Amino acid sequence: MSLVGPSGSGKSSLLRAVIGLQQPSAGTVDPEVAQHEIGMLFQDDALLPWKTARENVALGLGFRGVERASALAQADDWLARLGLAGFEHRFPRHLSGGQRKRVALAQVLAMKPKLLLMDEPFASLDAIVRARIIQDVAELVEREHIGALLVTHDLEEAISLSDHVYLLSQGPRARLTRDYAVPIPRPRDPVRARTHPAFAPLYEQIWNDLSREVDRDQAQEAAE
Amino acid sequence: MNPRYAWIRQLVAFALLLAIWEAAGYAGLLNPLYAPSPSKIGAALIDLFSDGRIWPHLEATFTAALGGLALGIVVGIVLGVIAALIPAVAELLEPVMTLLNAIPRVILAPLFVIWLGIGLASKVALSFILVSVLIFFTVFSGIRQVDRRLVERIITLGGDRWALVRHVYLPSVTAWILSNLKVAVGFAFTGACVGEFVAATRGLGYLLSFAQSTYNAALMFALIFLILVVVLVIFAAAGRLEKYLLRWN
Repeated sequence: MSLVGPSGSGKSSLLRAVIGLQQPSAGTVDPEVAQHEIGMLFQDDALLPWKTARENVALGLGFRGVERASALAQADDWLARLGLAGFEHRFPRHLSGGQRKRVALAQVLAMKPKLLLMDEPFASLDAIVRARIIQDVAELVEREHIGALLVTHDLEEAISLSDHVYLLSQGPRARLTRDYAVPIPRPRDPVRARTHPAFAPLYEQIWNDLSREVDRDQAQEAAE
Repeated sequence: MNPRYAWIRQLVAFALLLAIWEAAGYAGLLNPLYAPSPSKIGAALIDLFSDGRIWPHLEATFTAALGGLALGIVVGIVLGVIAALIPAVAELLEPVMTLLNAIPRVILAPLFVIWLGIGLASKVALSFILVSVLIFFTVFSGIRQVDRRLVERIITLGGDRWALVRHVYLPSVTAWILSNLKVAVGFAFTGACVGEFVAATRGLGYLLSFAQSTYNAALMFALIFLILVVVLVIFAAAGRLEKYLLRWN
């Protein structure tokens, strides 16, 4: 599922609260999965610059007590699955933005999460690289039965990847205002999903609702 | 001008300077009591080595400087990490360190002689205090400037505090420490030589003080040159270490 909403509605804060990086200012977070079963893919691809790709991927496994040799072998596996065979020993500095994003993804997926949180993870990538990574993410998430929550500004991305899109109202004190079910069947290719007949009407509907939220905020600002 | 050959031009310029200096000495333009010619300095240098009496002095200074350097780096890192991670410690330690940083720390030399005697210990202590304060601030402020995103990454991957120190804090301050390593080496030798200057029976600083009391300018220049060479050799070693540890960059 995806979460969309105007800037400042607290989408990122919500994810940070779920993963435990931030205390919610009110209420409690009650995820059905344990903290260590949640993986988070961030907007940037900050890997440890002094560790190679495989060492970065193996990092979390090491924290879990997996032996170094076995952790590195699993890391190589994940890198290969994400199309980075041959790049295991590169330092992040010597990888492209898309490759770094894939390493970050491998790092999270190697932990076998039950829930994957993504905070605008593809925003900084150029169109083709982005479309390819999204395809890979969709496939892996579907195959590994990982629950995924994507926060994004990009409605196309939200619809093509999700079964449900939730709209968060204008903040502060934003709330979930709408839940749109995406009727495009699975398994689905997120690039082809955009040509499905249900895509365009849904896009327009969410777009209109989102615009109203933004307008409402501007009207409020003008009134104050 | 090809920048690759800069060292050749520098060498030629240096040789030229020595030649002019030597010629000025011959022409009687320089008083040999104050500015002995390069050949006289060279002779004094050879003299120091030929009868072997320089070795115990070199050994004393080296031991003091490297001992103070090693101790200062280790203690500086440990205190810096602890202070950066535990606010209560920072509260106590930072004012003391700031004070120590503000004063010229070599003024402690006489005190160390009273406390620790005129042997090696007082020189190591002076080197140590010079180096450790520098490294403390390097590590302390380095950890505070660490990229928050990296810290969050480690936390979301399930890393604990020790994991943060090991995988994020120490590697990122390594770069800072290495960039200050040359300064630290200079400080370590300053501490050793000044300590020996104040009170000692051995060491390059002691020899310098001896040269001063006997008005032996040639010996002084020879010693200064020797210390210069020693420090340059250590700089080269530090440069190689830096290249290896920062190979990811």
